Amino acid sequence: MTKPTPKKRRLSMEQKQSLAGWAFLLPATLLIVCLSFYPMFKALLTSFMRGKPTALVYSDPLWRNYQFMLKDKVFIQSITNTFTYLIIQVPIMLILAIIFASLLNNKDLKFRGLFRTCIFLPCATGLVAYSMIFRTLFTYDGMINNVLLKFGLISEAINWLNDPVYAKAVIIIGLIWRWTGYNMVFYLSAMQGIEYSIYEAARIDGANAYQQLIRITIPLLRPIILVTAVMSTNGTLQLFDESVNLTRGGPANMTITMSHYIYNTMFLNNPNFGYAAAMSFVILIMVAILAAIQMKVGDKR
Amino acid sequence: MKKFVSLLLVLAMGLSLCSIAAAEADGKITIWTWDPTFNIAAMKVAKEMYQKDHPDVEIEIVEKLSEDIETAVIASNGDTSTLPDILLVQDNSFQKFVTNYPEVYADITGQYDLSEFAPGKVAYSTVDGKNYGIPFDAGTVTATYRTDYLEEAGYTIADLTDIDWDRFIEIGRDVKAKTGRPMLSGQAEAVDMILIMLQSCGASMFTEDGAVNFVNNEPLREVLSYYKQMVDEGIFIEVNTWDEYIGTISNQTVVGTMTGCWILSTIMSLPEQSGLWGLTNMPKLVASEGATNYSNNGGSSWAIINDKDFDLALDFMQIYRNVDFYSEILPMTSAIATYTPAKEGAAYTAGSDYFNGEPIFATIVEYGALTPSNITGAFYYDARRALATANTNYLHGGDLDSELQTAEDTVNFTMGF
Amino acid sequence: MNEGAFSKHATRFLMYLFLIIVSLISVFPLYWAFISAFNNTQQILGGAMLPSTHLIENLKNLFAQQDVFTAMKNSFATTLLQTVLALAVSSIAGYGFEIYHDKWKDRVMAVLMLAMMVPFVAVLVPLFQMFSKAKLINSWVGFFLPSIATPFLIMYFRNSARTFPKDTIEAARIDGLNEFQIFVRMFVPMMKPTYASAATITFMNAWNSYLWPKVIMQTNESTTMPMLVANLMSGYVIDYGVVMAGVTICSLPTVIIFFCLQKSFTNAVAGAVK
Repeated sequence: MTKPTPKKRRLSMEQKQSLAGWAFLLPATLLIVCLSFYPMFKALLTSFMRGKPTALVYSDPLWRNYQFMLKDKVFIQSITNTFTYLIIQVPIMLILAIIFASLLNNKDLKFRGLFRTCIFLPCATGLVAYSMIFRTLFTYDGMINNVLLKFGLISEAINWLNDPVYAKAVIIIGLIWRWTGYNMVFYLSAMQGIEYSIYEAARIDGANAYQQLIRITIPLLRPIILVTAVMSTNGTLQLFDESVNLTRGGPANMTITMSHYIYNTMFLNNPNFGYAAAMSFVILIMVAILAAIQMKVGDKR
Repeated sequence: MKKFVSLLLVLAMGLSLCSIAAAEADGKITIWTWDPTFNIAAMKVAKEMYQKDHPDVEIEIVEKLSEDIETAVIASNGDTSTLPDILLVQDNSFQKFVTNYPEVYADITGQYDLSEFAPGKVAYSTVDGKNYGIPFDAGTVTATYRTDYLEEAGYTIADLTDIDWDRFIEIGRDVKAKTGRPMLSGQAEAVDMILIMLQSCGASMFTEDGAVNFVNNEPLREVLSYYKQMVDEGIFIEVNTWDEYIGTISNQTVVGTMTGCWILSTIMSLPEQSGLWGLTNMPKLVASEGATNYSNNGGSSWAIINDKDFDLALDFMQIYRNVDFYSEILPMTSAIATYTPAKEGAAYTAGSDYFNGEPIFATIVEYGALTPSNITGAFYYDARRALATANTNYLHGGDLDSELQTAEDTVNFTMGF
Repeated sequence: MNEGAFSKHATRFLMYLFLIIVSLISVFPLYWAFISAFNNTQQILGGAMLPSTHLIENLKNLFAQQDVFTAMKNSFATTLLQTVLALAVSSIAGYGFEIYHDKWKDRVMAVLMLAMMVPFVAVLVPLFQMFSKAKLINSWVGFFLPSIATPFLIMYFRNSARTFPKDTIEAARIDGLNEFQIFVRMFVPMMKPTYASAATITFMNAWNSYLWPKVIMQTNESTTMPMLVANLMSGYVIDYGVVMAGVTICSLPTVIIFFCLQKSFTNAVAGAVK
């Protein structure tokens, strides 16, 4: 007689909790459905259309815009550029961010607050100042060339922004400069969850700073590293600011990103909504695949 | 933390009480334009002049970047309810916007007298024979040189007047050898100079029927070869950004500059170089037919928006056919009229102190009237970008024929949608 | 013994040197913007790296040309509202996804993640049309509504909630707290560092957001600070001294917020759990 009652009660408790969970995620889900999925759905329909922006008609065949992409040299160039940035920049930036965070998480370090603020500052600096100073530093007779020449690291001045390889390097340097402090913030706050005594124990066992980082910090930060990796991948594949402001996509489209090209297609060139939407969904698919891979590799729950 | 959050909440709630009213147009003229020292300043004068006779008409001038106005028009996608009565449009994008959003821009053909505006300027806002724009500032090309540097090499402004590009390069070579200074500077990839040279003989990136025209465009080939020669010889230096370009003028590294006359306000904002500048027309092409010493770069025109207070807006815009209006705005903005009678105004006939008493403004209006028109079309920026890519590759040693072919294919590709 | 102490000192010295160099590189552009606010166009384009005497003149021109106070008010209002609401909505959702996770909630989460993967330019036009119909143009609500439920923040809170001990929840349930009370009284205080870092980032993103505001904020009265700075660069003639004065003023609030909030996420109290 008494046995079924607790079982029943536990079940209803679980149901109650599950319901509470649904209630908690409902506002956010509704907002995202209305303000992201609905416009995304409209954009998906648009991606099958062609014509003037105010008189779009379904194209024939429906996937015409997607077909065109394969023949679009500028779009293919923009994919190549974007993936070059992704492969080089994201790993360097995340590793640097972890190194900075673990250095700055040291209780004995003096001026920690000052260092932290300094390293965070780049992402708080307005885009105008950031792009202007970067362009100024990397001009032909700019500071970077002068310094490199003075120290004999290069034999003649480099025309950074007018060379396909160096212009990409400027964008990557700019990205690392701007976003490393941003990622560091997440690692620093996650490190608060790690008991300081673990490090002390490791130190007594003779582990050096590098071993502590590899064996303790990184495994414990795994969930946050995953978040930042997915975010940075997403951010880089949608990269826009640097391409527009540092190099304007030049020289000869050698630094243009996918988002920059989509923007041009909609707002600078003769507006082609259908093609812009189709390219956007190609980005979406690429980000989704990469995110899924990262989740599979990084999410061991 | 809790305190901080509740403080934030209270602050936010407090601030949200003072809400912002949406702009509704009712017997009121709303105008979107950019640049407080230029377009906005001019509009403020127009507003004052109009309100003197019509004190009950409310006029609101909203500062909005050119690209923001374009984005807002595209985002509203044919629905004019969020748009103002009047907005300013870059001449080079006028045809693109009218072609794509014919329902947004009001047709003013026959309702606004455009006969006294420079014909080359009116062409920018004319689509299929219908007028959509009221011309404002001129982008008439002026060639301005530092007379002191020219003198150092033994030349005067007269030696650079009414010449062709062969002679210009000859002089440029000599000046470069004697003073070490390049004649001109410009932004790489912007192709301003190339399009200026192209328009000076009435040629365009497009044919009459709107097809892109690179491969078989003889004037374009002539222009590109002159440009490459000048860059190769260091007579024209390419810089990467707009800031650097302005820097070459303000830091006195170049002998002169050749672009739209709006550059004069930059030059005249450098008081220590006063009296050192001279102004004349640009060199002309040699082989191309219809070559002149006049061209255009930049400038913008006003558009009236449909489904708004059309009659009121049109009446207000009559100010832009008033000689006194142009005379009043000239000293404060240096915005040079495309309304030809304006050159009779007091401010225009007076000499400019900065230019050693020369009446440069009247001269520029005259240049404006002589400028050949060109074809922009809806795909202007697509073509311009493709041309920039071709030119960059050509400068870096690429083959001209194949580069032009690639560029033409690129534009045809986007046009093929 | 001596050798060990020497190498320890050497490591410390190298570490400080490294941090100092990195800090200098990081600060340089903002330093340059700041000192450029004291310079005029010619000095700035000439590459001046030291302040001159034009600050007052630049500020005077800035305030004469632009309504800085209105832009500041709008930027603060929209940014604060967005930060508070985004943290509230997204953190409770992230908590819900993690603590009560089951097959269906995980699937919903995976689908929501797609929302951040489409470039914003693609949804700009449909989104604007929705807001235009809803009469949200030129309103603060219109500004922040699209960015208060962000997949990124939800994911961040969800992954942070993994460190939230299950025994704490069980204990709280035995104490008679309901699910919402557990979230407010146990989770929120314990996740202070997470909230502080999320607040910093959200504040910064909202403050610097540009593409959406410039489409939706269409009157002089609704201009925000980044729009104001962009307006300064619009003309045929650009006064770079004024631009840099604007940039410096625009950058200050994010710097101050970071300085105030960073203590909360880096206080290195051994173990956040007590």
